[in-house]
Amino acid sequence: MVQWTDGRRAPALFHPGFVAAGSALLIAAFVTDFMYSQNALMQWANFSAWLIVFGLILALLAAILLVIDFITGRAGRIAWFDFILVAVAALLSVINELVHTRDAWTSVVPEGIVLSAIVTVLLLVAGFRGWRVTTIANPGDVP
Amino acid sequence: MNRAYLRGGAALLALVAVAACDGKGGDPARQYGPNPYLPEPHQYLLPPMSVPDAVGWKPGETPTVPAGMKIQAMANGLQHPRIVYTLPNGDVLVVEGNSPGTEPFRPKDYIQGKVKNLAGAGAKGGNRITLLRDTNGDGKPELKTVFIDNLHSPYGVALVGDTLYVANTDAIVTFPYTTGATHISAPGKMLTDLPGGPIDHHWTKALVASADGSKLYVGVGSNSNITENGMAVEAGRAAIYEVDRKTGAKRIYASGTRNPTNLAINPDTHKLFAVVNERDEIGPDLVPDYLTSVKEGAFYGWPYSYWGQHVDIRVHPQRPDMVAKAIKPDYGLSSHVAALGVTFSKGETLSPQFADGAFVGEHGSWDRDPLNGYQVIFVPFVNGMPSGKPVPVVTGFLAADHKTVHGRPVGVGLDKTGALLIADDAGNTVWRVSAAH
Repeated sequence: MVQWTDGRRAPALFHPGFVAAGSALLIAAFVTDFMYSQNALMQWANFSAWLIVFGLILALLAAILLVIDFITGRAGRIAWFDFILVAVAALLSVINELVHTRDAWTSVVPEGIVLSAIVTVLLLVAGFRGWRVTTIANPGDVP
Repeated sequence: MNRAYLRGGAALLALVAVAACDGKGGDPARQYGPNPYLPEPHQYLLPPMSVPDAVGWKPGETPTVPAGMKIQAMANGLQHPRIVYTLPNGDVLVVEGNSPGTEPFRPKDYIQGKVKNLAGAGAKGGNRITLLRDTNGDGKPELKTVFIDNLHSPYGVALVGDTLYVANTDAIVTFPYTTGATHISAPGKMLTDLPGGPIDHHWTKALVASADGSKLYVGVGSNSNITENGMAVEAGRAAIYEVDRKTGAKRIYASGTRNPTNLAINPDTHKLFAVVNERDEIGPDLVPDYLTSVKEGAFYGWPYSYWGQHVDIRVHPQRPDMVAKAIKPDYGLSSHVAALGVTFSKGETLSPQFADGAFVGEHGSWDRDPLNGYQVIFVPFVNGMPSGKPVPVVTGFLAADHKTVHGRPVGVGLDKTGALLIADDAGNTVWRVSAAH
């Protein structure tokens, strides 16, 4: 729980939970890509394609909620480092989904799994930094 | 493995550049004949898709034929006609069928299915055979009636003696036939099963009887474009089978044929020929579909390689031993034309130009820009083998602007007068091309 200096509880940001949930799916896609690269069973690659699609849907929801966090005064300033981590991961995942539309081996190896690995690293860093891409608003900022 | 990932890192840098690449197909004429031009394969970010809208034929509209010939609609209002087959008494069978339907596996399947359906590929098939009887040979049937109903995605059909063989998507079934019959109500008896589901990606089962009538040959397509549904579902697929007509015993006659969409026996040499549709999504000019004589025991490459030893890197694990075995087909038809029909000409009935050779129905491309196919061509033969440039015979299926398509040719055959019949599945019509005089 984040508290303001006057002891009141700060209103929760909406977007970090969705950043985290979407990241979980995109990171899982790296795991399923890895499994496919080991055993060439297509179902693992199919899992990856679906995980990335749903990860991106959650990323879109997170973006909408980020706007709402600003509109409702929950968010303070944008935290550029975190925002860029997450935004780059999302853009790379769009490309990665396109790579995963290829048929069979080259839908994953080599470009697909490399993209999944990069996305995983970016999102883990974002995760250790708390999944949020803004600061929490100060009491004086509340409308 | 680590080296593969390093290569992947380098490839990533090139990825954005590749995404911007437009990749237009070149002149199809470079890919006709025994030594087609084969560019380097590409891996795409966006699968190249380009399909015209299917709009059907308005009354009076027809495909176009060369001077000295005329074309007429012999039957219309059919339900996805795919094959035309003339019985000895001159009656024409029209097989109406389409895919039994496949379940989407991946996000891609939803989108690709919708795009293909724009061009009329998704229409429901009649699952029946319609009989046309044109006694006086004027191309206007006096009788049009349902001959056999309640089939299961039928495609190939062949009559030997008094038995009619129908290739459903999962089995060859037999029906008793008497000359002049206009309806068969007897239930079909299964001669042998064929690889059908699960998936049934390439569902058509082409059928032809050997010249002496003792064997049936069956074309069985692969269960994927290039093994993306897994190797397990490819067992017994992408092959041409030989089936003993009496016992139903079968064996693989030739393999590595990705989708052998139709078969025909050369009337002079009695050799088996096939049209085969090759793989997609490695470029607008890869891989050429082909017409080939089918050599017993031969391996034609799919999935490991194409046109001999050109390796397809999408297949894993790779099989250099199989690549080494792969033989080249006889005659390239150019890429993505989707050759679905083949029949040999019979003398000079239609035109002296078409005395010796084969007509090939090209359904037309969905993943090539500019579009390719959408016509019936004639491939000249010399000494029993394809030789020389193909000649367009029936064109005009595609509108001049290439934005819409009226119909798409599938199976081709000759009627008892030697006129050329064409099943048009998007136009739901059977066309008849005859000499104008």
